[in-house]
Amino acid sequence: MIRRRREPIAFSFRSVLYVLYGLPLLWIVLTSLKSQGEVLSSQASIVFHPTLEAYRAAIADSALGAAVRQSAIGTTVMCLAFATPAAYALARTRSAIVVPALTLLVVLQMVPQTANLIPLFWLLSKWGLLDTTFGLVLADATMFLPWAILLLRPFFGQIPTAIEEAARVDGASTIRTFTSVALPLARNGMLTVSSVIFLVSWGEFLYGITFMLSPEKYPLSSLIAVQAGAYGADWPAMMAFAVVSAVPVLVVYVASLRLLSSGLTMGAVK
Amino acid sequence: MSSSVPPVSAPRSTTAAGLSAPARARRGRRHGRTVDRRIALAIPAGALLLALAVWPLVQLGSMSLHAVSAATLNSTWDFVGTDNYTAMLREPDFGQVVVNTLAFVLIVTVIGMVGGFMVAVAVLSSTRGGTFLLGLMVFVWALPPVVNGSIWKFLLADQGLVNQILRALGGQGLGFLYDSDFALWSVALVNAWAVVPFNARVLRAALLGVDTQVLEAAELDGARPWKRVWHVLMPAGRTAATVLTILTIVYAFRSFDFIYVMTSGGPGTASTTLPFLAYSEAFLTLDYGRGAATALIALAVVVVLALIYSRDVRRTEGEA
Repeated sequence: MIRRRREPIAFSFRSVLYVLYGLPLLWIVLTSLKSQGEVLSSQASIVFHPTLEAYRAAIADSALGAAVRQSAIGTTVMCLAFATPAAYALARTRSAIVVPALTLLVVLQMVPQTANLIPLFWLLSKWGLLDTTFGLVLADATMFLPWAILLLRPFFGQIPTAIEEAARVDGASTIRTFTSVALPLARNGMLTVSSVIFLVSWGEFLYGITFMLSPEKYPLSSLIAVQAGAYGADWPAMMAFAVVSAVPVLVVYVASLRLLSSGLTMGAVK
Repeated sequence: MSSSVPPVSAPRSTTAAGLSAPARARRGRRHGRTVDRRIALAIPAGALLLALAVWPLVQLGSMSLHAVSAATLNSTWDFVGTDNYTAMLREPDFGQVVVNTLAFVLIVTVIGMVGGFMVAVAVLSSTRGGTFLLGLMVFVWALPPVVNGSIWKFLLADQGLVNQILRALGGQGLGFLYDSDFALWSVALVNAWAVVPFNARVLRAALLGVDTQVLEAAELDGARPWKRVWHVLMPAGRTAATVLTILTIVYAFRSFDFIYVMTSGGPGTASTTLPFLAYSEAFLTLDYGRGAATALIALAVVVVLALIYSRDVRRTEGEA
């Protein structure tokens, strides 16, 4: 064991980090409880009359429901539905196309969103899918698909092949082996990747503001982005939105803390 | 190291040759060799990606060679050759945008990597305080970028907390987001702030692979703390750091959300980078052809980086 002792440099560095990362969080919570007037007079005030007005408005807003529908259910389910069989296939076969396919996935994962945005806008408009939840989910799920496949593949790779061979010897078909043997064994991986995809689609806003033409259909992140861009922003309302949008992140984050700590680093460097 | 590099090479070695005879017999034989049917499970994803990721990029290339405006978007496009590209290069601000992009990527990458490494070392020992700090930071990283961007827009505003502190200390307020000298720096620093937690966690995972006995031996031999960091921890994190550097460069280069929320690329083009320029040309100026040309240049940069990255990953896989 290394002897534990106080290291003054490490200690002060950590204190700086607490300020840099903790203070902004504290500040949005405080601001969301203030009235607009109080924020305008002094942003730094710590003593104020807390009000839940901003939250009442935020929760009444229909965008909250839209955001949950679009990101949580739509994008994550669709993305996982496509990614899982593909990740299994790429983990298990030794075909000549596996390496080019993986390289293509790496490239697609890194394409700037604005590069896809321009032709997708045209494509969705041609197909009449602009301003529809389905079009947005389709675009979001496709954008996160390469990443999801790359993240999931190692989880299938870790399953001992002997188990699947046994199933095949017993007469299970390819599909059956995948659904009844590999899928249950990769459950942790699916949970990890689901929470990651949920988090990123929850935060996605550019497709939202571009493919949704009517602001009342905007997902929550898009709404925050638009409000932040406007002059004379209503800060308490925005910060209430920010806090509300942080709640699902906190829930998913805490629930998947252990999974994420191994799974995410794995997918990132691989 | 070991914790950040899972045994991905394993699946490749377990294929046809490793299967038992009956299992192999179950596979169809075509053209005299066995075909693994499992690859068919990748078809739905492949089809979706071809339709909505690859095909759009082909269209992007086509758009960049045509005149496409809001009026002609849904009709036929006039072929204009390389006009969009020459117009883009002649734009007086284009050089400025390229310089912005380079500066932005440099700031985010250097601070993201150095900061990430410092944080990884600071929280390396699994004390409760260190674990909690890293947990807090990673939570901040997981928040939607628009939320983090608006928090900092709020804190850096004219009457924001940062300026109020500066004034209270006797200084004068700074136009962090609307002074052309500071805007790019402000957005880049906030971007680096957002990526440090992620890098710290990846690097910490790499550093945890270091044998504590080596650290103890170094300590017994009288190595000061910074010497131990320099000679023991830094080399241990090198492989992970190489891959992570490329990822951070790509992240910085693609960055859009923070710029959009905090400065919208302004004042003027003071904080506009290439991908943001592509967006503003297409969706603010409504010149889709020009936007496509700019986006294609940005795409080319990313493809080069992606190929370096996948080569690097393959090499580390070979070592593992």
